[in-house]
Amino acid sequence: MRNYLIRRTLQSIPIILGAMLVSFIILSLVSDPFAAMMENPKVKLADIERLRKAWGFDLPVYLRFFKWFGSVLTGNWGPSLLYPGYSAREIIFRALPITLQVMGLQFIFSLIVSIPLGIISAIKQYSKTDYTLTFFSFFGMSMPTFWFGLMMMLLFSVYLKRPSGASLLPPGGIITPGMESAPFLARLGDRIQYLILPVIVLSLNSIGSWVRYMRSFMLEVLHQDYLRTARAKGLPERRVIYKHALRNALIPIVTLIALSLPTIVSGASITEFVFNIPGMGQLILNAELKNDYPTAMIALTLSTVLVVIANFVADIVYSFIDPRIRYA
Amino acid sequence: MGNNELLLDLRNLQTYFFTDDGVVKAVDGMSFQIRKGEVLGLVGESGCGKSVASLSIIRLVDKPGKVVGGEIIFKGEDLLKKSEEEMRKIRGAEIGMIFQEPMTSLNPVYTIGNQIMEAILVHQDIGEEEAQKRSIELLKLVGIPEPERRFNQYPHELSGGMRQRAMIAMAMSSNPDLLISDEATTALDVTIQAQILELMKDLQKRTGMAVLFITHDLSLVAEMADIVAVAYTGKIVEYSDVRSVFKNPKHPYTFGLLRSVPSLVNEQRKVDLPAIEGMVPSPYHMPNGCHFHPRCPFATDVCRREMPELEEKLPSHYARCFHPVEVSKEVV
Repeated sequence: MRNYLIRRTLQSIPIILGAMLVSFIILSLVSDPFAAMMENPKVKLADIERLRKAWGFDLPVYLRFFKWFGSVLTGNWGPSLLYPGYSAREIIFRALPITLQVMGLQFIFSLIVSIPLGIISAIKQYSKTDYTLTFFSFFGMSMPTFWFGLMMMLLFSVYLKRPSGASLLPPGGIITPGMESAPFLARLGDRIQYLILPVIVLSLNSIGSWVRYMRSFMLEVLHQDYLRTARAKGLPERRVIYKHALRNALIPIVTLIALSLPTIVSGASITEFVFNIPGMGQLILNAELKNDYPTAMIALTLSTVLVVIANFVADIVYSFIDPRIRYA
Repeated sequence: MGNNELLLDLRNLQTYFFTDDGVVKAVDGMSFQIRKGEVLGLVGESGCGKSVASLSIIRLVDKPGKVVGGEIIFKGEDLLKKSEEEMRKIRGAEIGMIFQEPMTSLNPVYTIGNQIMEAILVHQDIGEEEAQKRSIELLKLVGIPEPERRFNQYPHELSGGMRQRAMIAMAMSSNPDLLISDEATTALDVTIQAQILELMKDLQKRTGMAVLFITHDLSLVAEMADIVAVAYTGKIVEYSDVRSVFKNPKHPYTFGLLRSVPSLVNEQRKVDLPAIEGMVPSPYHMPNGCHFHPRCPFATDVCRREMPELEEKLPSHYARCFHPVEVSKEVV
């Protein structure tokens, strides 16, 4: 196992390097950060020349890559072009915690809801319960978040009011102005109000697909011979399902969960946009659309690293829950 | 063998499968009896209803299958009238069962020991430690070397033969009165098959349990069974003690089966192996009259019209046929 860990870690280095190279090449192909400045009469030509030098644009492309690569390693991720005066690192670390909260909560919430529902759906295959759950799963999966988000906003922020006359839940944003330096508990209460709607909207979407996954993994296991053996032993049906079937059905689902961990960091751009949440999804989208190439490259690199780590974690977890898998 | 007390009395069992394409009468009026300590060999081709019959006995027929008629009298009580909870206490305790595929019949994510202990703990009021001791004894009993080490191993770490031994240990864990072996040796290669057969025979003699031995292989029946029941399309077509069936097969189907067993004599005479003509009829389109008549060399008009009853053709030798075979042993 130790050798395997070391080998896997070493193997992931060239993968990350390759991904960094690709994101660098793509972004240097599409964007010229100076084009906009050239048209701006307020920016002096001499300043542009100075920036060209500072960002390595006077060098050939391959040398510029190494310059960028070196500075990424030392923690200098370059300036943000979208938010002048801030570094790419600063704005990423401002967006990251917000996305972690929204996505983390929706991830946990949807798993807690959908795993039991998927099991029920499978055990009662082709029953009314199953058809109802299936209907709502597809409803959730096919409901576009931008529309459903707006409808939720309409309901909870426009139609439903508190006795004081304020809307029941805030329609968007992430913090009430003036709460930035409030005591922790007050800030927490404030944050929860803002999180409820986006978490519900995002969860509805993912609960749908998780229920379907869990249902099909469970169904696959329910037809296995070893369940007949378990029943022939005289075990109660509860034990047959929750000990013998569930343990086997969880193997693929745990892998899927590990593989979808990167979304917790990369965020959900559309929902963030609808609810005006300054998270990673919005940031990455904006950076790519508006030629903020240092931020975009870092965001892409970050995603790659996370995908590599998630795969790694999935493999390790797999070996813990499935005794047939052993790494040497 | 043993005393003559009746253990299992299957009376006119009917298990049907209600599929979208129609009703399949997998078991259609099957009857047989097993006395205490007796081994009954239930023989037939795939699809003759032998496995479904055995699953009906422990009431584990999967949907869309359903027992629609008959009685399963076990120790004087009808299993079909028992509640699910009462049935659960019989499964694994009074009736043990082993299945065909040792590869898939054990849960891959639990150790052998865990799965055997579980069978003990669910029926016996003993502690974990004692159950573990008993499991290791059982592994020893079924001839698994290094039982302490095997106890902690997972199914994939054992060979097919070892897994089937573990399955037998599990089925034997509560000293059942009846062991159902559903093609338990079919998936194993021949040498392992012989060992498992030997083990089952040995355990049967030592414990005096009755065995319902289901197979498609007549030679295994000759070795294992006291009584033979030959099944065809969900019905018993011939029923007698093993000597009588092998010496004087009355039903043309049994006769054909016995003739198609390869023998050294035929090998030397360079005779082609005789086979039964035709195919098992489709479960959706059963022929009228005797279900065997399309393949039967002796079929007449009455066979095409009526289903014969299971009748005594020789003393306690029953066959379901209008024209029972008058034997010339030459052919076998």
